[in-house]
Amino acid sequence: MNCLRVDQIYLYLEKELSPSETKGIEEHLVSCSKCQNAVAERRLLLRASESLPLWDPPADFSRQVMAHIFPDIFPDRVSIRKWIVASAVGFSSAALAFLAYFVFSGQSLLSFLTGLGRGALDLFRTVSVLVLKLVKLGSLLIRVIVRIFEILIQFFGHLTKMISPEMQIILITLTLILSVSLFFGVKRKYLTGEKA
Amino acid sequence: MDEDKELIQRTLNGEEEAFAMIIRKYQRPLFNYIGRMVGEREMALDFTQEVFVKTYSSLHTYKPQYKFRAWLFKIASNFIIDYWRKRKLDTFSFDQPHTWDQDRPSYEIPDNELSVVSKYELSQIRKKIENALGKIPPSLRELFVWRHINDFSYDEMAEIKDLPVGTIKNRVFQAKEMIRHILEEKP
Repeated sequence: MNCLRVDQIYLYLEKELSPSETKGIEEHLVSCSKCQNAVAERRLLLRASESLPLWDPPADFSRQVMAHIFPDIFPDRVSIRKWIVASAVGFSSAALAFLAYFVFSGQSLLSFLTGLGRGALDLFRTVSVLVLKLVKLGSLLIRVIVRIFEILIQFFGHLTKMISPEMQIILITLTLILSVSLFFGVKRKYLTGEKA
Repeated sequence: MDEDKELIQRTLNGEEEAFAMIIRKYQRPLFNYIGRMVGEREMALDFTQEVFVKTYSSLHTYKPQYKFRAWLFKIASNFIIDYWRKRKLDTFSFDQPHTWDQDRPSYEIPDNELSVVSKYELSQIRKKIENALGKIPPSLRELFVWRHINDFSYDEMAEIKDLPVGTIKNRVFQAKEMIRHILEEKP
């Protein structure tokens, strides 16, 4: 066999040749150092080419594309920067409008601010008293509910000791049947208006 | 029916989430191909998005007898060619420092062939290949990327480019030998 062609070397390394062609090349390589060097050189080039680092798209790339195609279904998330800019613009506009009002109406800004401070203090007092009362009421309610549950657990504890397991099963089944029929009966009465 | 075809059918039936699954499956290979072709991350992201938009809008024209991946990459390839045409850049000689006709790689192994690649570490060779990729003609770069980064078969590449498999094999060989010759140059 003659020396290998360069295109043949690449196809050999990529396993794109038939078994008989591959065999012929391997037999030639045993005795030809020029071709051996050429193959080693291209093998390294291929190894590097096939392990080039991959680029990664951003984690939310698919969402961005979907937002572009279906803006109503996949709305684009507003970035934090946009929120900051919008807030800054809103706040500045409000402050400017506020100042312009006092400049053009001739009212005293100081007396307005004092009045505003007093109003805010009164509101704070009222709200704090209300919050304290709500907290007290909430804690009382929780204690009552906990006590009711304790009594119920004790009651069922005593009941299971008094009644045999077979009787317990019968009672639970009867209760379930009664609850289900009661539920459907009530539903029928109120939804369809059927008279009992 | 394979997974891609099922996802396409579901998208055509109005299930948008199925198209999101197609995007998630192909965003990385497509981004790597486009990225290597345009050489710039932000532009590559914009182009990848545009290709998915184009794919969605022409999904009703997709014929199930073709592989979806080949169809998707054909859209991407045409998109890049259009971009170069609009910028009045020759799609073959774009960014090509070599005079291709004079520098055509030889099929014969020269008697005194220098060892170009073997003298470097693997990580150095990778860096050199990345640099060399920008210097070979885009039409060859595209095939090199499909073959060695996207892991396409020669048959698949021939289907995308509408060319005989032999022509594709020959061009990929040319791309690799050009890269090897560029590796020889001093930085």
